[in-house]
Amino acid sequence: MAERTAPIRVLIAKPGLDGHDRGAKVLARGLRDEGFEVIYTGIRRTTEAIIAAAIEEDVDVVGCSILSGAHATLLPKVVAGLRDAGAADVLVVAGGIIPEEDRAGLQAAGIAAIFGPGSTIAEIATYLRAHVRSN
Amino acid sequence: MSEVTDQHGAALRTTRELAQAISSVERGGPAADALIQTALTRLASERSQNAVVIGVTGAPGAGKSTLVGALAERARAAGRRVAILAVDPSSVQSGGALLGDRVRVEERPGDEGRFVRSIATRGSGRSLSHTAAAASLLVEAAGFDLVFIETVGAGQADLGIVRLADLVLLVEGPEGGDEVQAMKAGLLESAHLVVVNKSDRPGADRAVERLRSGLALGHDAPEVLLASAVDGSGVAELLTALEGLAVTRSGGGLQRRIAAHLAAAVEARAALRLRDAESDGRLAALAQSIATGERPLSGAVDELLKG
Repeated sequence: MAERTAPIRVLIAKPGLDGHDRGAKVLARGLRDEGFEVIYTGIRRTTEAIIAAAIEEDVDVVGCSILSGAHATLLPKVVAGLRDAGAADVLVVAGGIIPEEDRAGLQAAGIAAIFGPGSTIAEIATYLRAHVRSN
Repeated sequence: MSEVTDQHGAALRTTRELAQAISSVERGGPAADALIQTALTRLASERSQNAVVIGVTGAPGAGKSTLVGALAERARAAGRRVAILAVDPSSVQSGGALLGDRVRVEERPGDEGRFVRSIATRGSGRSLSHTAAAASLLVEAAGFDLVFIETVGAGQADLGIVRLADLVLLVEGPEGGDEVQAMKAGLLESAHLVVVNKSDRPGADRAVERLRSGLALGHDAPEVLLASAVDGSGVAELLTALEGLAVTRSGGGLQRRIAAHLAAAVEARAALRLRDAESDGRLAALAQSIATGERPLSGAVDELLKG
């Protein structure tokens, strides 16, 4: 029988208080069309809720869309929470408005990639396929 | 969470282990078979802890997710361990899926007595994924005693849920359910309970009347209730009615669910073999052999199923 690989599962989350979810929805829809299983969790989620959802859904990737400027606080908490839950192999990526000077710090905190406003769906999909754990 | 361990050392002790077990049965293969076997052994040894499995279906936009979320909140507050399995379709074109039911469910991080999982149908070609049957057994083996399986709102064609659940709840919106629809064969006649959701909106009372009058012409007409997931009215009564029906229908529930799971598993495996026959050219060769008169159609079918 031919080898069958399961679709990559991605949680798209909006941590923090900003309610602008258009970008997150466009990404969710776009990744679906690229063959990903996308779990969309809605706006204004706490990092605890995002981590719990990522564990229950057994996702390969958590993508955080953040426009509020709170990325430096919230994103490292997501990485640390997943690690504490025994899910350090989940890839955490970020999208939204994140200033250049904050990127190095976030990457040091375990954020695998940051996709700014100019990023295309195809680019993100290619990155995820290349970097997700294989199973 | 209660402990289940199989010979590979996998267990269902934690939320993470349960979640990974569901991914394993989604992928299929020997590890998945072992997990299911372990769950079945576990369930056979503790009959007293059998769960109530409620299938929830209805047209898109009827408010299934929000209503299930509200029922789950109330049941959890009453001490039940509640799992929600939300099934949504995979895209036929891309194989991907957009699973959005969590948006409508309160997240309760830290509560091990709640579990929510989104399941894509993954080309099972039916509105209810065979994975849902396996996932339902896994959450039951992990100690959840109330399981909601929420299905694609495919309406009347969505009958697979009847096999997997102890009870079927049909959710209608205030604008749905005319008398003719209520009389049509399909999901409505399989529902054990019907609820008109969004009672906070105009027209809900009339929808109840339409459904009742349509259903009254049949035998064993299900009760029609009114609720609003948004303002919470009728939700407690709905949960009480569901639990009451579960009691009167109990007995053989687990055995029936296991049989339904195994039937779905066999069917899914057979469907994979048919897909293989298509991709490796055997199907085309058989079709050719019918065209040339080498085999009759029924002979070709026998040949295909043998392979």
